[in-house]
Order: sequence, then structure tokens, then C-alpha cells
Amino acid sequence: MDNRRQARIHRFRPALITQIDDALPDYMNLMGMIFSMCSLMLKIKWCAWIAIFAALVGFANSRTTDDAKQVLSSFMLSISAVVVTYMQNPAPMTIPFMQ
Amino acid sequence: MRLAICLVIVFLCFICSAAKKVKDEDFSEFDDFDQDEFVVETPSTTSATLSSSKTQGSKPDAVETEKVIQADSNKGKQKEKEDDEEEEVSVIDEDDDSMFDDEEFEASDSFASATSATPDLKIAEVPANLTGNRWEAYQCEAVMIIALLAYLINFLIGRAKNARLATTVYHAQRDLLDRNFALVGDDGQTRNTETDDQVNQMQKESDHLYILWCSGRVSIESMLIELRLVKRQCAFNSLAAIIKSINDTLVYTIDFNKDDMETFVFCLAKKRSAVKLHRDMVDLSQFCAERKSADKKGFPGNYQVLSEIGEASSHITNDQKLAEFLTKYPDAIEYIHISDQYSGMKIQSDQQTSSNAATNTGTAAQQQDALNTSERSLRRVLIVAFNLTPQDGRSLQITSESLPGDYLRFVLQLIDRVAAFRFGSKELKNKATKNRQRIEEQFLKSVNLQRQEQAQLRREEKRRAEKEKVMQSDDAELQRKWEEKEHKREMKRRQPKMKQMKVKSM
Repeated sequence: MDNRRQARIHRFRPALITQIDDALPDYMNLMGMIFSMCSLMLKIKWCAWIAIFAALVGFANSRTTDDAKQVLSSFMLSISAVVVTYMQNPAPMTIPFMQ
Repeated sequence: MRLAICLVIVFLCFICSAAKKVKDEDFSEFDDFDQDEFVVETPSTTSATLSSSKTQGSKPDAVETEKVIQADSNKGKQKEKEDDEEEEVSVIDEDDDSMFDDEEFEASDSFASATSATPDLKIAEVPANLTGNRWEAYQCEAVMIIALLAYLINFLIGRAKNARLATTVYHAQRDLLDRNFALVGDDGQTRNTETDDQVNQMQKESDHLYILWCSGRVSIESMLIELRLVKRQCAFNSLAAIIKSINDTLVYTIDFNKDDMETFVFCLAKKRSAVKLHRDMVDLSQFCAERKSADKKGFPGNYQVLSEIGEASSHITNDQKLAEFLTKYPDAIEYIHISDQYSGMKIQSDQQTSSNAATNTGTAAQQQDALNTSERSLRRVLIVAFNLTPQDGRSLQITSESLPGDYLRFVLQLIDRVAAFRFGSKELKNKATKNRQRIEEQFLKSVNLQRQEQAQLRREEKRRAEKEKVMQSDDAELQRKWEEKEHKREMKRRQPKMKQMKVKSM
């Protein structure tokens, strides 16, 4: 018995996808921006590296529907933070609690 | 203008000469030093070098070069003087004793070598990256870069694995879906659903969520297949999944029409999911009072039942095919949720109603429109969630080639069973209707309360604005009139209560 019915076709609506509250990509973007600003203003090198990590984790967890510009801007900001911090002080990084 | 330029040039020359003078004065101590003084007599050499290093504490290179020069000159002069001073060695020794008291030098033993360091001497540390091989100093950076690369590699591998899983699951179900649904795979954006190009894969929502929309079947409106995978593309999430023992899930969400399904709420779930669903789902918390164990039904595994209407629940659970499926795959079904009052999870539905009812921005008309949408978005759904775990010691990839087909077959059977069910007696139907009316009334009350609060807030804001206007106008009469109005309002508010009390006493 054929169960198919052409008359009962309904189009897909994105609102029907089960909403899962996953705020990780947003938190990672925010963290990336905060650490980038810290590293640029306070000249702390490990902040810049953590900013790159945060941008990468945010990118990995992002949804396809998310705006790619935001992820890209987060990346660019963190990479510029690393570059500027090292240009200001080319000495190697020292982790504060591991001397 | 020219005069100003001349003045500036003169000023600059003055500054340069002053700087040169200062520079010359800085080094003036060394101008009078004769080479004769820097001989093997170590006390004098060390004292000279001490004084020179003290004054030039910030220029270690200069001190070092000066020491080198002095050492060289010492060696040169030493040979010349050795011959001259041989005869007068004893005399010189005596002179030495008289010239240099031990009291002058606290640590006379340390003066044996010209290069010994005293406590006051501060040798500046040369940064590690400027000595020797520069790149070796950047150890922390190397660790960071390696960690980043490792994360990137894990991202690429995880993403590829998830994509392969999605493709396998899709191909395992494709034939069965084509035989049961007129439309398989729709993104909602193409104009025409009847295209020559067949959908070849599930729609990728993100690297860990793949969906497939199916529609055009008897007794249902649509079916959405969601493949919720572990976030293998993120190293931290995959670690967390191992620790929390989260696995891949395959969820079928079927929407029924009003006429397709009877009105009841039911849930059969594993204990861990039953607790969460009972707490978080609006309909389950409103219609199902308690969780009962499903051991009596003879189901293997730790299942619990949430039921509104007993007859409907037993119709679902007494199904032979369900028992066979559970026996064959004991841990496959995570939960089965059937509801005609489905509105999602509590937090999300609260957000929806609050956003509908509490908008402070916009015109009064817009606010009124928002408050008027007091209807809940209810759906008639059947949701079945399966765990995709490796079976019989085989890998996940191999099990996902065979399992999804069986899962889909079970879901289609369940759809037919739910669609075929009708209440045996009118009493049960009335009971269900009463339950729904009760919940509806509760919801309308809460919306009313919110509206009243909104109205009160608006009234208070108006009053505040009026008061400010009146106070700022500096017109004594206006102020007096406004105060009288306020006084009357207060009296009105108090009076009705007193009146009611009077009536009661009579």
C-alpha cells in the first residue's frame, strides 16, 4: 500500500527545528574580544594567545546560519593582538605563575 | 619667521653642546687615569674598576669594553715594568703595605682575582632571545602554536567524521523514506519541490546537527529527522562527551493534523531523561502528575512512564512491536513523547509569552497588539529519540549502516498506531477536554495578570510625567490643583473598601 500523498506536502520552516540553547559560540566570541583588548592595552602576551584559542573554539562551535563576519572579525582581532603585542615587546612570553 | 628659525637653531646647538659637556663630564673620571696605575697590584685595579662600574651601572657593555682595554694595557705595560721593578720589588712591597691598609678593604681575600664580583656589583641580564640561538628562547610560544595546530587538526578530523556519519545514516534510510514520503529533503527556500535533482544528503545545520525534512504521507503532516551528533569538531566538547557519556542521537519529530491524533499526553523514557522531561517540558509537567516505573510491562532497561489518560498509555505500551523492538535493542530508545499540547521547554515558552506580553517600547497600539496575542503555539507531535551507539562490539560507522533503517521502520509503525487510536468512551474524552480547559484558564489568568501589571506601570509613568511637568512649570495654582486631584484619587481608592465593610456589617 502506497502511503505517499502529494496533497499533504508541507514546506519546511526553520522554526520547527528543536531549539537547543547553546550559548558557547557567543561566549567564546565575547571572551576572544575581551582578551584581545586586554592584551593590546595591558601588553600581556598570554591574553593574546588565549584570544586566538577563544576565536577558534567559537568558530568550531558556530552554527551554519551564524554570520561568518563575526567569527572572522574575532579571528582578525585576536591575530592582530598577538602581532601588535610581540611588536611592542619581542621578548619571549613568561607565564606569571610558572617562573 | 626667520628670526624664530634662527632662535630655534641656536637653541638646538646650545642643547647639543650642553649634552656633550654632560657626556664629557660623565667620562671625566677616566680622563686622568694613567696606564701606570693599572698594574698587577690588584687592590688598585679592582678599586678603579669598582668606581668605574659604580658610575656606569647602566652601561655594562661600556664597562666590559673598558675592562678589556684596561686588561690589555695592563698586560702590555706589565712586561715593560717587570724589568724596571725587579730590583725594587721589596721596596715596592713595603710601599704596598704602607699605602694600602687592610681596613680600607673589607674583603681582602676576594681581591685576589681581578674579575671577582662584589655584592654591590649588578650585572645586567641579557634577554634570552638576544643570546645564542634566538628561536630556542620562545618555548611557550612553540607550545601555544602546537596546541593550536592540534586543535585545528582535531577540528578537521571531527568534522569529517561527523559528515561521514550523516551520509551513512542518510543512505541507510533513503529507500524507506522514498517509499513512504512524497517529499524527502526540503530546505524551505527552493520555489518548486518537484525538481529533477534529488537531495543527496542531509541538510547541514552545523558541524554537529544534520536535519532532513519529509512530508507528504498519509495520517501525518510532516516528519523532521534530526541527527544530533557529539561535537567531535571541538576538542573540549568531545572530551566532555566522553566524561559525561553523551552519545549521538537520532530524533524523529512528527507533526500531526488536528484530525489525525487523539488528545492525550504520554511519555515513555529512560529514567535520566524522564526526570529532565518531566521538569522541563511544559505539557508533561502540566498534564502528567507523576512518573511511574515501566517494569510491570516487562521492558528491559530502566524505563519510566508519564501518563495523562491511562487507556491511551496502555494502548501504546501494550504494543507487541514495541516490546519486540525493546528486546532486540534494549538501550536504543531514549524517549517517546506523544502530545497534543506540545509547546517546547519551559524556559523557551516563558520567553515567548514574556516577549509577547511585556514590550515597553513602541506605541500604545503596538503594545496592545502584542498583549492580544495570548495564544500558545501548540503542536500535536510524536517525538522519538534513539541513541546511536556501537552495537555488538562493532564500530559506530558500521552500526550506523544498519540501525537507522530499523529505527525508521519502528517509527513508521508507531505513527500508524498513534493515528489509529481513538478513545473508547466519551468519559475519557470529557476528562481530557476538562484538563485542557483548566490549563487554558490558568494560562489566560496569567496573561491577564501581566496585562494588568503593564497597565499599572503605564499609569504610574503617566502620573510621574504629569508631576514633573507641574513641578517644572512653577505655577503655584497649577501645583495646588494637581495636589487636590491626587488627594481626591487617594480618597477614592480608600473609600470603596470602607463601603464594602459597611455593607457586610449590615
